[in-house]
Amino acid sequence: MKYNMKSGLIWIVSMFLLVCMSFASFGDEKRVLTSTWSWPTYIDPAVGSDYSSSTALCNLYDPLLMPTAEGAMEPWIATDWSASDDGLVYTFTIRQGVKFHDGTELDAEDIAFTMERLLTIGEGYAYLFRGKVEEVDVLDTYKVNFHLSETFGPLLYALSRLYIVNKDVVLDNIKPDGAYGDLGDYGKAFLLSHDAGSGPYMVQDFSSAEHLYADLFSEYWGYVAPGAPEEIKMIGTTEAITIRTMMGKRELDISDQWQTDEAFEALGRMEGINLLSFFDGSAMYLMMNHTKPPLDDVYVRRALSWAMDYEAVAQDAFPGSIQAIGPFPQLLPGHKGDVFQYHQDFDRAREELAKSKYAGQLDAYPIEYHWVSEVPDFEKLALLFQANCDEIGVNIEIVKTPWLKMIDQAALPESTPAIASIIVAPHYAEAGSMIETRYHSSNAGTWEQMEWLRDPEIDALIDDALATVDTEERFGKYHTLQEMLVEMVPSVFLIEKVEKHAYQSYISWPAGENPIPVMGYTFQFRLMEVDTEKKAALLGQ
Amino acid sequence: MKLSTWLIRRLIQAIGVLLGLSILVFLITRVMPGNPARVALGARAPQEVVEELERRMHLNDPLYLQYYYWLSGVFHGDFGESLFTRRPVLDDIKEYLPATMELALMALIFQAVLGVTLGGLAAGHENRWVDHSVRLGAYLGIVTPSFVFAIVFVLLFGYALRLFPTMGRLSAGVVAPRVITGMTVIDGLITGHFAAVGNALWHLILPALSLAMAGIAQESRITRASIVDNLRKDYVGLSRTFFIPERKILFKYLLKPSLIPTVSIMGLDFACMLGHGFLVELIFNWPGLSRYGMNTMLRKDLNAVTAVILVLGVVFVTVNIIVDLVVAYLDPRIRMGTERGT
Repeated sequence: MKYNMKSGLIWIVSMFLLVCMSFASFGDEKRVLTSTWSWPTYIDPAVGSDYSSSTALCNLYDPLLMPTAEGAMEPWIATDWSASDDGLVYTFTIRQGVKFHDGTELDAEDIAFTMERLLTIGEGYAYLFRGKVEEVDVLDTYKVNFHLSETFGPLLYALSRLYIVNKDVVLDNIKPDGAYGDLGDYGKAFLLSHDAGSGPYMVQDFSSAEHLYADLFSEYWGYVAPGAPEEIKMIGTTEAITIRTMMGKRELDISDQWQTDEAFEALGRMEGINLLSFFDGSAMYLMMNHTKPPLDDVYVRRALSWAMDYEAVAQDAFPGSIQAIGPFPQLLPGHKGDVFQYHQDFDRAREELAKSKYAGQLDAYPIEYHWVSEVPDFEKLALLFQANCDEIGVNIEIVKTPWLKMIDQAALPESTPAIASIIVAPHYAEAGSMIETRYHSSNAGTWEQMEWLRDPEIDALIDDALATVDTEERFGKYHTLQEMLVEMVPSVFLIEKVEKHAYQSYISWPAGENPIPVMGYTFQFRLMEVDTEKKAALLGQ
Repeated sequence: MKLSTWLIRRLIQAIGVLLGLSILVFLITRVMPGNPARVALGARAPQEVVEELERRMHLNDPLYLQYYYWLSGVFHGDFGESLFTRRPVLDDIKEYLPATMELALMALIFQAVLGVTLGGLAAGHENRWVDHSVRLGAYLGIVTPSFVFAIVFVLLFGYALRLFPTMGRLSAGVVAPRVITGMTVIDGLITGHFAAVGNALWHLILPALSLAMAGIAQESRITRASIVDNLRKDYVGLSRTFFIPERKILFKYLLKPSLIPTVSIMGLDFACMLGHGFLVELIFNWPGLSRYGMNTMLRKDLNAVTAVILVLGVVFVTVNIIVDLVVAYLDPRIRMGTERGT
């Protein structure tokens, strides 16, 4: 009897599990586009500024101005603008009829509120405007004035990072106990997992550890491709085996850029999967700390630039990349195309060394080269550079350093590595972004300027260029700076980094072929299309 | 000593252990390189914003004061804010701990059922091919890291055979049940959302099995050895003289005493799985505490790191107490010794 009861119980539990498992499979009928990203992602426009955050923001919100693939800025939420003669007041006309996701209309109050919120919180892309934008005046429902404390030539380019938030939604969702007085937490807790935007997609579900799911906003004012995904999924994983499995099962449509070359090759060999490479405007440098001998001597820095094997770096260590031409990527408007470019020449390297005050004494000055341990490919670069320098009698000691430690080390000149290999991306699509970030003394002590370049003449030229409102005149000043920096060679200008992605052949991705050189904008999902019939064919349905 | 006295003594010891752990972890996280405020806000954040965050986190205060503020917060249920997720650490733990608990519980079930069954089979066929196969499998299971199993399972069952999903807790389109415990299977059973239960179980199988493999191997060996040892005891010989079937001797009379070492190990395994499942959680994109803990360590998220380690410490201590109670239940000699004060 007991035996039968036990058997019966086992049978009931098994059947129950089988019934449950029969619910296990579900399919999508919507056009869904799934992509993978390095997490975390912050979807608050006043907080997020990394790649995944910028991509999410481009899709959930509308910027004031939209960057183009040609490097220009086109009207977006602002349809028209003018600047005062002194360049200190910009008047923007706001597009009428733009709806937020809650159905209310976007107007000038929201613009003013967005900027004020960004400047007050001070995170994310606030640094682009802090110290430059003093206040925003609302002139009428569809007109605002931006008042600047100093002229800022690239302002229009920087406004691609001003993502307009719904003032009423934010104010309705403020937590009273926060760091901003009467404004509580300024809606930060709410915007961690919700959106207050007008963009083509709106948050359906956000998990800080896993994913962002967003649905197409049916009342979006702008252009949406006919076959654009009705739902987008940004998944927070870069695990190679997961990516490969999901791509094979057509559960993943676009991979992240952090896969190894071997992984991309394997993905490219799979049926129905394409590989895409484009230049994202970032560049790789060997940053040379000017406070540490012998790198305080320009002849030593030039010698190292002559010793580097750029071809091996671009073709073998980072396939698909190209050697950098000058101190910032040629993709950025304001770049001078014909600036001098170093190439490997040991004889010229030795000539430069002979002019140096350290000539004949280099054995007493070994140079520590630090590479970021989280990027294994940097070790290849370190070893290559060490071998190159060995040819000219310069002793390179290689040190593997965790990223957090390197950020810490960069804070002081004595702790900053003598040489560090770093990738830097522009914050807006204009040469001024890189010039200021990389070579202005105000950024010395950050991981983006580990050279400790503190040259008053360079600073003055950069400040003057950035304050120049006329574009052509400003670009002319950038060209002058480019030539000076090449002469000064504060870093070895290595490569312009290529960004790779694997994507399904049933995805149409026009921006992938013609990328926009502002982080995140190449991933405007509204411009992509999903061919569901082709997908079904690949799935064998 | 009475059982209640023993329990109170263990709890007091546990508090001491946790206090010591909290001090150790607190000190270690403070000496890790990097300014957490600067790391969290980025290189371009204005200095005044960084300083404001440092002030809110008491980073410029003496260490003992920082510890005092932190401990006061813990007693009020406030572990501070995570610089990684930008929300209260307690909210993160409420979200991620159940996910890891669910994974570890499923792994424990696999470990218990498969480990004990295989161990029993091996013991029942001592020195025959079944025994040798189980022991060989156990060696392989013990030496192979869990993430290797995870990768193999993903490739085999997820990619080649397409039998199981390879990421997340639920498939897209499946509505999650109302959160009660945070464990999807249990919440689904409570709320009657059986579709979610089935889907969640389907998602649990591969990661739980990956996590459990080493434990299954270990349990099978321990159970086998324990049963073989007990088979040689006098009471077993006596049972045989009364013509009691071998299967009954094995599963009714032998299993309980043979499970004592197994249960002890399983308890420790469960506690370890909560902290060591990082790579499995990473491969399966499982939003668990282990992966969260690793991510926060890489970002020097002081509040989160300290909280995660403290939580794992609490679980470890609790599991140890539970294991001792279960062992006392299984072995009357221990229970009676405790009650008699021996």
